[in-house]
Amino acid sequence: MTAAWSPARLAGLALLLAFALFPLSGVQPYWTYTVTVGFYYAILAASWSLLVGYVGRISFAHAALAGLGAYVSVLAVTLAGLPVAGGVLAGVLATGLLGLGIGWLCLRLHGAYLGLTTIAFAEIMRIAITAEYAVTRGSLGLRAPPLLPGAGPVAYYYAILAALLASLALMWLLLRSRIGLFFQAIREDEDGASSLGVRVTLWKILAFAVSSAFAGLAGALYVHVVQLVAPSMMTIRESAFILTMAVIGGFQNVFHAALGGVFLWVVLETLRDMGDWRLTIFGVVAILILRYAPDGLFGAIAERLNGRRRGK
Amino acid sequence: MSLTDLTGQLVNGLVISVFYALTALGLSLIFGVLRIVNFAHGELYMMGGFAYYVAASVAGIPPVAAVLAASAAVFLLGALLERLLIAPIHDGKVDRPDEYAIMITFALSILLQSLMLSVFGPWSKRPEPIFRGRVELGTLIISGDRLAAAVVGALVIAGTILVLQYTRAGKAVRAVSQDREAAEVLGVDVRLVGMLAFGIGAALAGAAGALMGPVFNVTPTMGIIPVIKAYVIVVLGGLGSMRGAILGALILGEVEVLAMVLIPDTTRALAYKDAYGLALLVLVLLFRPQGLFGTAGRRA
Repeated sequence: MTAAWSPARLAGLALLLAFALFPLSGVQPYWTYTVTVGFYYAILAASWSLLVGYVGRISFAHAALAGLGAYVSVLAVTLAGLPVAGGVLAGVLATGLLGLGIGWLCLRLHGAYLGLTTIAFAEIMRIAITAEYAVTRGSLGLRAPPLLPGAGPVAYYYAILAALLASLALMWLLLRSRIGLFFQAIREDEDGASSLGVRVTLWKILAFAVSSAFAGLAGALYVHVVQLVAPSMMTIRESAFILTMAVIGGFQNVFHAALGGVFLWVVLETLRDMGDWRLTIFGVVAILILRYAPDGLFGAIAERLNGRRRGK
Repeated sequence: MSLTDLTGQLVNGLVISVFYALTALGLSLIFGVLRIVNFAHGELYMMGGFAYYVAASVAGIPPVAAVLAASAAVFLLGALLERLLIAPIHDGKVDRPDEYAIMITFALSILLQSLMLSVFGPWSKRPEPIFRGRVELGTLIISGDRLAAAVVGALVIAGTILVLQYTRAGKAVRAVSQDREAAEVLGVDVRLVGMLAFGIGAALAGAAGALMGPVFNVTPTMGIIPVIKAYVIVVLGGLGSMRGAILGALILGEVEVLAMVLIPDTTRALAYKDAYGLALLVLVLLFRPQGLFGTAGRRA
């Protein structure tokens, strides 16, 4: 661990201040809105890294889980008459429970099974939601009631920034607790941890459920901001996006992954004219980072700021 | 449902099973030798489709030769990718090999998809089929392009099994997949075998894509659903088992066509056709996680 006020942490605080002041700096509402959407990806990338970077299990369903949280929330509001906050809560609960179920199904087994199953689940969820036209209006999507009726982009910006910071704080508390130590023990040496009495399967399932619930939270909040929910947010390609963001930012640390989410989204929006070439390039960058710099962009920057190589 | 309808459905299921088996066999071969699940397998299938499109419709090569050319192209691509990205795992050059293998192949899948989207655009292409027209077996009518593709596919599967069974290279592949260390001690070049296995696995996926391209169109996202089915099949058959991959493909193909009749509304029945595989996957994970031919114990 680095000292309490290490240069990297100070840089993090400076960055936080910059995000807090950003909408007040006279930027166009379009950019305020873009960064707000970036915060959605930041929660998703952080929740993905909570699972991958700390427990060593990989999910390809995070975009689909976000979509599920979103649909549950919207339908809870429009059909069951819940307030928007209640809908978001329902979305979080639904994705958390599904995470428990999928986790229980696959995490008694080793590594790749979760990846295989989450891909299948993600695609089938998307297909089912598209097919149930009577409830979901298929690929047209549903209008989502606003999170903050009548509010402008700046209010939404701060609301989602607050949700991101709260999510990161919760993840951080979890990771530095005893449970976080269990997670890392599992990642480092599952059999060893198990032989020392760590309930390996239980903690893996819990990690996936928590990670899923955060994905659900991100999706539910997001659709009440953009006020539309459609199955297109649930594609495998969107999940690949989340992976790319977390990997480029640095998937071994939730804060680096979150920064990767905002950063990559803003870059993608800036380079809009390049179309699909953007993802081709990011795919190459993600592969190079995985191969040669697994700490990611922000991991490398933090290391450089702290002026020493990652000690092992 | 009349007997003819039923027979028709069973034959359709059999035809579909051939394509499933091609894709799943490659996945299983790669897993057996390299102990990784190739999450880019669907995109190798898609590359086969595009290679076939370029060979048959752009360059005008006759269809069967174009299938072979496409498979050869995907073989080379697979071998190259193995050397660049997968071999370092076994050379001990990556930090967390299990996570790396999953993430690198998935990142590769998205890279290939985006690359094809950038080059060819999202519009679907329909290359020349191997054979046009319909085949009538008594009162049973099957579209000729599918049947011809299935026949070629079955020949490719048979050829692969023969190569694995009787050639020196095939024996080396099976040896490494049974016991990597022992094979290495006995003088098998495991690095070369790894590259070969990934190349052959990729070529099988590429052949499936080339054969299915004219039937279901060639698009950058064409690999997503077929590869999910291949995942279901290899888990059902047992990861790394060739027999399992073929039997699993037969089971999934037949389950899909027979389960179609469960939902009366045709459009919804078609949409949910792809969901039966998931139901099957859940059942396998619940009751026999090692699959039909897998061995219990630690797996990938």
